[in-house]
Amino acid sequence: MARKRRDFWWSVTLLAFLTVLAFLVYPLATVLVTSFTGEEKRFVLAENYSRFFSHRYYYSSVVNSLYLSALATLGALVVGTTLAFAVARYPLPGKTFLRTAANLALLSPPFIGAYSWVVLFGRMGLVNRALSTFGWSLPTIYGWRGILLVFVVQYFPFVFLLTSAALRSVDQSVEDAALSLGSPPRRTFRTAILPIIAPSLTAGALLTFMATMADFGTPMIIGEGLHTLPTLMYGEFINELGGNPAMASTLGSLLILVNTAALMAQRYYAFRKAYNVVCIQPLTVRRTPARRRLALTVFAYGVVCVALIPSTTILISSFMPTRGPVMYAGFSLQSYQTIFHVIPRAITNTFFLTALAVVLDVLLGVLVAYLLARRRSRAHALLDALIMLAYAIPGTVVGVGLIVVYNRPPIILTGTWIILLVSYFIRHLPYPVRSCTAMLQQIDIRVEEASVSLGVPPFRTFLKVTIPLMFPAILSGAALAWMTTIGELSSSILLYSGPWATMSVAIFTEVFSNHFGTASALASILIVAAFIPLFLTYRVLGERAALGM
Amino acid sequence: MTRVRVEGIVKRFGDTPAIEGVSLDVRPGELFTLVGPSGCGKTTLLRIIAGLLEQDAGSVLFNEDQMDDVPSYLRNIGVVFQNYAIFPHLTVGENIAYGLKARRVPPDRITTKVAEAARLVQLEGLLDRMPAQLSGGQQQRVVLARALVIEPRLLLMDEPLSNLDAKLRVQIRSLIRALQRTLQITTIYVTHDQEEALAISDTIAVMDRGRILQVGKPWELYLRPATRFVADFIGTMNVLHGKVEGPGRGFGALTVVTDFGERWQVRAAGSPGQPISLGIRPESLQLLPGTNAVEAWNSLKGTVTEVVYLGAVVRYQVKVSENLLVTAEIHNPDFSAICGVGDGLTLWFATARAIPMPGETGPA
Ligand SMILES: Nc1ncnc2c1ncn2[C@@H]1O[C@H](COP(=O)(O)OP(=O)(O)OP(=O)(O)O)[C@@H](O)[C@H]1O
Ligand SMILES: [Mg+2]
Repeated sequence: MARKRRDFWWSVTLLAFLTVLAFLVYPLATVLVTSFTGEEKRFVLAENYSRFFSHRYYYSSVVNSLYLSALATLGALVVGTTLAFAVARYPLPGKTFLRTAANLALLSPPFIGAYSWVVLFGRMGLVNRALSTFGWSLPTIYGWRGILLVFVVQYFPFVFLLTSAALRSVDQSVEDAALSLGSPPRRTFRTAILPIIAPSLTAGALLTFMATMADFGTPMIIGEGLHTLPTLMYGEFINELGGNPAMASTLGSLLILVNTAALMAQRYYAFRKAYNVVCIQPLTVRRTPARRRLALTVFAYGVVCVALIPSTTILISSFMPTRGPVMYAGFSLQSYQTIFHVIPRAITNTFFLTALAVVLDVLLGVLVAYLLARRRSRAHALLDALIMLAYAIPGTVVGVGLIVVYNRPPIILTGTWIILLVSYFIRHLPYPVRSCTAMLQQIDIRVEEASVSLGVPPFRTFLKVTIPLMFPAILSGAALAWMTTIGELSSSILLYSGPWATMSVAIFTEVFSNHFGTASALASILIVAAFIPLFLTYRVLGERAALGM
Repeated sequence: MTRVRVEGIVKRFGDTPAIEGVSLDVRPGELFTLVGPSGCGKTTLLRIIAGLLEQDAGSVLFNEDQMDDVPSYLRNIGVVFQNYAIFPHLTVGENIAYGLKARRVPPDRITTKVAEAARLVQLEGLLDRMPAQLSGGQQQRVVLARALVIEPRLLLMDEPLSNLDAKLRVQIRSLIRALQRTLQITTIYVTHDQEEALAISDTIAVMDRGRILQVGKPWELYLRPATRFVADFIGTMNVLHGKVEGPGRGFGALTVVTDFGERWQVRAAGSPGQPISLGIRPESLQLLPGTNAVEAWNSLKGTVTEVVYLGAVVRYQVKVSENLLVTAEIHNPDFSAICGVGDGLTLWFATARAIPMPGETGPA
């Protein structure tokens, strides 16, 4: 009776598996295997690892990474949730502004944020030079303080948005019920509201933790010699005295281990604690004493202004006359003229690669989401897990893995633009898959069945009914993929070659060769380009739908 | 017109059986209803007939055609789903035209057919609206028109009225019945509302836990339920237990002594000493005030424990013995028929109104 045909969806499953295996699993497996490989390709159990853990130079990077990520996660959680509660529950002025500003703060990639703090507070920075005329100076921005600042500013908006969305789904009746049953406010929060928003809080924490673990550009730019796992991995791999792939792979394996462990812990927790809540009347705004209200207002606006400093600094400084790292007051298009003369390829490269990667992500993502949501099976659960892996694995690791696998026959991709495309495509595939799966779970399957029963075959039903209904999710998945791809640095810096430098790579090299003006101009273009699709999606769908929450 | 035969259908979801060997024979042009409690497998069976779900065993036939290998979109059926399943991204008109377009009907024919279908379900003038701008009843009629306009050989409806309020339910129910009669489409209709089933059906099948318990005309099921479950599901049934004493007065009658000591005449078969269970509908009981009224055959005495006065009907709960409560409904009650809680009364019934309930042996 079972008619398991090799239909279209069977081919999609096959294609998705092949893609993920070729571009993610195989490279990562190679990294893991390489970490157990000694000289002359021997298998060694612990040679690389024992070397790693016996040299302070190496093991301090793990300590630094874990320490920074933990602190950054804590900081982002505190700032993000406080802001979310202030906005949701207290009568603050200008809430729309606060929300929009938090959204805008997400747009610039973290390494650009790091760079902007250098522009302001660095040795040659605007603020320090202004102060030095009075003979004053500020404590240094470089090192772990700067990294932490960048991380918290960069990631608290994620926590804020996730927590706000979760708070919107708590019905006022939950709080009323708890209070009416004699539970004091503090206890009500802990026992009735916190459990409902906990999965979102942990999701925000996970996101911050994984992203900060993976961040390569920030410690490079503002760390001044402070090594984290990704920067050390990059250094070991690209070493001018001949790279050390085995040690780089050891570092990469540790990154894989830490991030997948974090991902699995959060998933396990959120899975067990997910409640279905029906929200008719969201939590209402509380009456508040004036002093607390003032304090919260100052806090909220302070935080949001700090979050907007990076993009603002970049935009303004891109129009300032510069010489090397020094910027002068005034207006000039000099930086833009320079980039259009010297490095126009970087811009076209970025747009070409990002657009192509996003299109491919959406095409495969939509089909895979349908499989995951509508044809649940063991194989598809595995596929789901593998795609989520792409989300957890740092770009540096993916980059190294791709180079190691594809720089030898039969397939040689290194040195071509294809390898950049592959990395962008595979790393950002989770965005459309997530958004479309979530949407499909809300679309009643009977709508599709109705279409089939009316005589439209399943695949045409998919095109005529499912795709149009999924449209908002497709749009928001594409916008998120676009936003994160366009500023991708950690794998680009490894994979680009010759004429295929991207804007992120160009910014990075300009910063390191002290051309701050061109760096700012490029970064401004990047921020604006990241913003446009998201803005359009907002206009079409409204804020909530656009973020897929 | 299509005759639908379902033969030995079995369906399991993992380890849970949903349908355990169901066979049905639906006559051409009739409205056939599946009733049963929630989770008994009605939707599952309907989806198998529609070809949206594959059975583990058994087959479905339309007339003489085996349908098991025919995919849903080639079965030419109209399906109306439990919660509408309207296409939210299409207008009312596009919703109705959807199946016609799939059949490559020429555009001008589509326009006339859509207009005609809209008229049938009283939706003229709403063709350009989006579904979100419609009331629940209007949405339901769109879905009905969408299913009817393709002139299906079979119409399947899964609790089509469950999301409507009581008044609208009755209205659309009559609309469905009238359309089905005029168009003479064989229809399988699922509901868990017994009143709806009685009102709308030519034939009713009662389901429980994946099996068919009884199939028959509405009055057959009501008057001669085959099991206690059917009796309770279609209406209310008082079930009383006793023993056969011997032959009764008249042909085919027995004398029965009940567990609470009454001596009754009933139409049933049985030999002396055998235990017997009898079902009596609440409205078959007549009331005599007081406990020592006339010494009559077929009576029960008890005290009123609850009174619900509804105007046309008064409903009593009467305690007959320590563990036996009987429900009685007195229609068109006069002053003399009104009792209060704690009053004693006598109930009696006509010999033919006690139904032997097979499969019921003594109190549990
Ligand atoms: N996709 C499924 N997976 C697992 N079990 C299912 C699935 N669909 C239905 N079931 C189970 O099969 C049984 C029959 O379900 P079905 O939907 O047919 O009930 P129903 O009679 O239509 O109920 P209702 O009146 O509530 O709609 C139920 O026990 C249900 O839990
Ligand atoms: Mg059902």
